[in-house]
Amino acid sequence: MKRTLILSTAICALLISAIYAFGDIARPKVSPSPGEGKIVFHTSLLVTSDSKASEARLQISQETLKRIREATADASVNESLTQRIVHSSTRTMMAGVFMFLAVSFAGVWLARSSQRRGRKAVAAVLLGAFALGAGAIIVRANAGPPGYLRWQGLPQNLTKGRPTGGGVQIEIVPGDDGMKLIVPLRIEEKSSEE
Amino acid sequence: MRPLFARCADKTSALPGVRVERTANIPLAAWPVARPADRPRVSARRFAALLIVSACLSAALASWLPLQVSIVTVFLFAGPHNWLELRYFLMRLPARFGRSRNFFAVAFAGIGVLTLGYLALPALYYTNVWSGENWPVAIATWNTLLLLWLAALVILRSKQSSRRDWSWALPAAFALSAVNWLAPELFSLAIVYLHPLVALWFLDRHLRRTRSEWLRTYRRCLLLLPLLMVGMFWQLFGTPSLADDNGLAWRITQHAGGQLLPNVSTHLLVSMHVFLEMLHYGVWIIALPLIGATGAIWSTKTIPLARRRGGFPKTIAAILSCSLFAVAVLWMGFTLNYAATRDVYFAVAMAHVLAEAPFLLRMI
Repeated sequence: MKRTLILSTAICALLISAIYAFGDIARPKVSPSPGEGKIVFHTSLLVTSDSKASEARLQISQETLKRIREATADASVNESLTQRIVHSSTRTMMAGVFMFLAVSFAGVWLARSSQRRGRKAVAAVLLGAFALGAGAIIVRANAGPPGYLRWQGLPQNLTKGRPTGGGVQIEIVPGDDGMKLIVPLRIEEKSSEE
Repeated sequence: MRPLFARCADKTSALPGVRVERTANIPLAAWPVARPADRPRVSARRFAALLIVSACLSAALASWLPLQVSIVTVFLFAGPHNWLELRYFLMRLPARFGRSRNFFAVAFAGIGVLTLGYLALPALYYTNVWSGENWPVAIATWNTLLLLWLAALVILRSKQSSRRDWSWALPAAFALSAVNWLAPELFSLAIVYLHPLVALWFLDRHLRRTRSEWLRTYRRCLLLLPLLMVGMFWQLFGTPSLADDNGLAWRITQHAGGQLLPNVSTHLLVSMHVFLEMLHYGVWIIALPLIGATGAIWSTKTIPLARRRGGFPKTIAAILSCSLFAVAVLWMGFTLNYAATRDVYFAVAMAHVLAEAPFLLRMI
């Protein structure tokens, strides 16, 4: 008993002393973060080469420019699908109401269906699960494969004079540094033999 | 010659030798073969070969020149396929509604209300009644009404037979409505792609009644469809998007979902949509009129509403004639201003998309 008490006291003292040890660590310096950009909407971009051109040109269609103006003028800019759903309380509420009704009526139907229709009941449950899963996928997924896949052929296409197209997010950043195109290229580092 | 439905003996009728049969039980003899010797002897293998060749040719053309094929097919076949659909639906209407009165009342009311609502949406948008933020809510509302109307039709149809219990339609409709409210524009795009496949279901039911010996072959040929679609996806996935620098090309790519799916090549989207539309046109213009058909398609003698005692032969003939005139006007419109006519056509054509639902349910 006495040994247990001493041992417990020693452990507690050790743990309490750790607080002082951590308390002596300097707080991480919070560096001022650069102005974060705001994605206003998603569209498509085609990168092509022109051997006769002397200057690079960025061609923006009138419709796209109009959308950029509208999006930047409006506080609730065009967001991703997930953000649109999350920020649209009406649609979220209605989706929730209909999901509740679907589950409720499916439960009533399952309860009333006879044992002979067990397979149909299972199919109905699967359909409901599929609908919920599809809804989750639509909310969480971005249609199509990851965007960087479409840009992997950019270096070769530029060399061969072929255009390369893919999705692009128009991001408005603070400052006055002109425009910058960031292409998601996965560069494989070649191992050099020395 | 007495009408077809009065030829059979009726157990309950006061008239001896006359029996009334339910329209749903009467085989599709509206386009009956006059003499067995006149029936074209096409084997199931030749039918399958025709199907496979047509599908492969459609997929190849749609993949090779999607914009051009889209323009040409819509120009040539949109109007005629609508006329033939109308003729087919008139033929499927029963001579007397009887127990189906409620079903058809809900069907026609739904077609009317939903079509008017669909036409009103862009009009209200351009008059600034809707703002851009409310546009998805408007689309979701219309889609919800569509789903509830379909569920009502399914339940009404199931009540016409004690052996059917299709009350699962209601929870299914609510579940789909929930998905719709999460992404209404994508849900509408799904309808654009699924609607052409409804014609294949019509052909399946039609074969079941008129050429049952071809049904198994036809269903096996349907397995080719997902293979063709996967093949098109594999071949066209990496292709650059179509140039949509003019109004018409932009309309076609947007109709196929170019703006909603920016990460997917519009070449793939337009090709897939054109392929499905070509199958749709092929069923309505070639397959359904030819299979089991005799006589002229402009004849009203095979339409029960026109043929029955006290029927409406002149009204039916006038409807068909006016529809032919509308097809001619559509062709003129396409010739004069293809883009604008296309916009108007696809807005008004929602009525025929909606009309397919009740008539398909009647065949199930």
